[in-house]
Amino acid sequence: MGCCYSSENEAADQEEETKRLLPPAVSPTNKVLNGAEQNYHSVPSARTDEQAMLSSILAKTATNIIDVSAADSQGMEQHEYMDRARQYSMRLTMLSSSLTHWKKLPPLPSLTNQPHQVLASETVPYPDLQQVSRIAAYAFSALSQIRVDAKEELVVQFGIP
Amino acid sequence: MGAGRGGHKKGRGGRSADRGVRGGGGLEMTTALTQGLERIPDQLGYLVICDGAVLASAGELENAEHTAGVISELVGTACGFRLQRGPDPPFKRLSVVFGEHSFLVTVSGQKIFVVKRQNHGRGPVSV
Repeated sequence: MGCCYSSENEAADQEEETKRLLPPAVSPTNKVLNGAEQNYHSVPSARTDEQAMLSSILAKTATNIIDVSAADSQGMEQHEYMDRARQYSMRLTMLSSSLTHWKKLPPLPSLTNQPHQVLASETVPYPDLQQVSRIAAYAFSALSQIRVDAKEELVVQFGIP
Repeated sequence: MGAGRGGHKKGRGGRSADRGVRGGGGLEMTTALTQGLERIPDQLGYLVICDGAVLASAGELENAEHTAGVISELVGTACGFRLQRGPDPPFKRLSVVFGEHSFLVTVSGQKIFVVKRQNHGRGPVSV
């Protein structure tokens, strides 16, 4: 995740990254879910297994999706919002002070038992150097042709007072 | 084997501390490190680096602390590379090739060995 080799241990890091910073509070999106479930209760009582599966898929998706455009702006007052922002930034400061993982340099691996022999042996053949330089030049040229193709609006309005 | 040629050449200048050299075995250990480097054909100089400090240096690399720092960083970065998620770095030797000379670098026993060698019979690489 992020740049090359930014994470040595993927499994552990993913757990850390998806853990919530603050304990979950009642969010306005729950109202959407409750409304949807009520509709299903009014369906005729002869509910098939397929219906049950479909509604469980819907429920799972609803809990995972945060629909920002449907967020009820009356759910959070100005002072609540400021309070939350302060809690988040305090938590972040606490966590970043304990982030020593990237600061420690890993020990150098040993590349050989015979450094003198390795350094004395034949140098890289000139045709190989030319080929590598050519490949690097092609790669550089290809990279410089990467463009962003903007299709949609990047900025959306939130309903925060 | 003797110290007839003046033994190993130690970098002068305040910060080149012989950190790996302790007690009585000092000179012998450094000579063991550098003797092989001295004998490398067409070598123009060499460096032995440990924990960021220069243990030994000679020729055109004598006292080359800045070069040692740059190469240490280069090696540190390169040693982090893995092809196909293997456990070891995918190379034994790093070559930094210039027009007239090259720096050849390797790591052994927590020490970085650098030798500057003369290039032979090649023009500059042009693409």
